[in-house]
Amino acid sequence: MIRFDNVSKRYLTGLDALAEVSFEIEAGEMAFVTGHSGAGKSTLLKLVSLAERPTRGHVTVNERELARVRRRGIPQHRRGIGMVFQDHRLLTDRSVFDNVALPLLIAGTSRAEIAKRVRAALDKVGLLAREKAAPLALSTGEQQRVGIARAIVAKPPLIIADEPTGNLDPQLSLEIMNLFAEFGAVGTTVLIASHDLLLLKRMQKRVLVLDHGRLVDDYRPVRAA
Amino acid sequence: MSAQAERRAAPPAKKGAEPRGPRAPLGERLAAWRDQHFYSFFSSLGRLAARPWATLLTVLVLGFAIALPLLFWLVFDNARELSGGLREAREVTLFLQPSLGPEQAESFAAELRRRDDVAAVLLRTPEQGLAEFRDLSGFGEALDALQSNPLPSVLVVTPRESGADEDPPLVAAMQADRRVDLVQYDAAWRRKLGGILHFGERVVAVVAVLLALATLLVIGNTVRMDIQARSAEISVMQMIGASNGFVRRPFLYAGFWYGLLGALLALLVVVVVELALAEPVARLVESYAHRFALHGLGAGVAAAVAGASTLLGWCGAWIATARHLAAGRPA
Repeated sequence: MIRFDNVSKRYLTGLDALAEVSFEIEAGEMAFVTGHSGAGKSTLLKLVSLAERPTRGHVTVNERELARVRRRGIPQHRRGIGMVFQDHRLLTDRSVFDNVALPLLIAGTSRAEIAKRVRAALDKVGLLAREKAAPLALSTGEQQRVGIARAIVAKPPLIIADEPTGNLDPQLSLEIMNLFAEFGAVGTTVLIASHDLLLLKRMQKRVLVLDHGRLVDDYRPVRAA
Repeated sequence: MSAQAERRAAPPAKKGAEPRGPRAPLGERLAAWRDQHFYSFFSSLGRLAARPWATLLTVLVLGFAIALPLLFWLVFDNARELSGGLREAREVTLFLQPSLGPEQAESFAAELRRRDDVAAVLLRTPEQGLAEFRDLSGFGEALDALQSNPLPSVLVVTPRESGADEDPPLVAAMQADRRVDLVQYDAAWRRKLGGILHFGERVVAVVAVLLALATLLVIGNTVRMDIQARSAEISVMQMIGASNGFVRRPFLYAGFWYGLLGALLALLVVVVVELALAEPVARLVESYAHRFALHGLGAGVAAAVAGASTLLGWCGAWIATARHLAAGRPA
C-alpha cells in the first residue's frame, strides 16, 4: 500500500528531515511511525499525502508512483487518504455533520448518500447523537473522534494520522487507537505517527522507528496482524 | 497481496490522476456538481449576511464607485439629446430685409425652392414669429406694449444633403443677396458643441474604465482579506482533497454577490439622484416648450451595468483566489 524506496527529504533550510528511508506497508496493515520530535515522522506522512515531495527516492502509494502525480492530480490523490490531525482541524463555523460531510461534498457525492454515510461514520465513532453540535461544544476527545469520522467517511483505502492522541489523556488515547485498529481490521491501511511509546507497546502493532531522519528500527510484534 | 506486489513493480501507465474505482454515472455527477454550486451560491450569501457591516461598507464603496460614471453618463447623454436637434439641423435661417412685404417674401421663397441645392423652404411671417417669441420668451406683456411688429419675415431653408463638411454654397449666395438682411448658419458653433460633447463622452468612458478597475480591485482585495481570514479552513480543505475549483467556488460567488449588490446600490443611487433633480429639470423642460425630456437609465442599461459589475466581481475574486492558490501549493 505504501512503499518508500531510498527516500530522502532535505528542506530548503538545509535540514535533512529524512535520509534514505525504505520500507513497505501492506494493504490492510496497521503501523506506527515513532521517534523523537524532529525525527521526521511528520515529513514521512507529508510525503505520503503529497504535502511535500521527496528530494531523492520514490514514494508509491496505492500502486501509484507519486512522482507521476502532477499538481492537478494532488486533490484526487488526497481523496484516497483519510487524514487525521493532532489538532483535528475541524471547521468551527460548521456543525459536526457538515464537518464530516466535507470530504463527500468535495468528492461530489449525492446529498442522500452523504446523509447516509455521514451518519454511518458518526455512528462508528459513537457520536451519532451529536451531529448537530458545533465542534467547539465537544470535548477534546470527541473532537478528535469527529476528525476520525471525517477521515473515514469517504471509505479511503488508507488512513494516516499525525499524533492523533497528542492532546488526549492515556485512557482517551487508548480508545482512539482502538478505533483505528478497528479500521485496520476491516482492510483499511492505517499509518499513525506517534511518540507515545507506552501506547505503542500496548497496541502490539508494527512500529517504524526514526532517528534524525533515518529508519533505525522496524519492529514487528510476534503475533502480527 | 502477492498479486498487488507484482503489479507494483510496473506502475500503471496512466497519465495524471484518474479517479480510483468506477465513476458515478454522468447524471449523478451532474446532480452532485449542481448541488455543490447551490451550496456555494447560498453559503457565500449567508457568509456575507453574517458580517452585515463589513459587507455593507464594501457594497457602499462599490455602489458609489459604479454610480459616479453612471451619473456622468446620464448627464452627457441628456445633453447630447438636448443638442441633438441643433446638431442635426442643417437649416439656414434667412432674416429678410424688413422692407420686404409678404408677397415679395413669398416669391423669394418660391425662387429658392427652384434651386437644385434646396430641399425645402419654410416661410415664417412676422406675425408667426411674434407669436412664437411671445410663447417662448415669457416677454408677452412687454411685447404687447409694442406699437408695430419689429420682426422681419424669416425663411428657413433646408439645403439638400451635400455630404461635405463645409458650408453649402447657398450660404455664400444668400449673404450676397440684397434681399437678405442676415444669414444665420451656425455650423462652426455646432461643430464646437459637437467637439465638447465628444470630449465629455470620452471623459465618461475614461472615468468608467478607471472606476471599473477600482471595482475590480475593491472586490479582489475584499476577497483576498476573506481568504486570509479563512486560510486555515482552506488548507484543511486542500489536505482532504478539495480541488482548486472547490476551494475557489465560494469566493467566486462572494465576488458575484459583491458585484451584484454594488450594482443594485449604484442603480438605486442613480434613481434617487434622478428624483432629486426631477423638479428643477421639469421647470427647465417647461422653458424648452417640452422639446426636451429628461430620460433616465433604461432597463437595458441597468441590466448591462448589473451584469458588468457582477462579472467584475467574479473576475476580482478569481484573481485573488488564483494568487492564493498559486502560493499555497507544493510543486
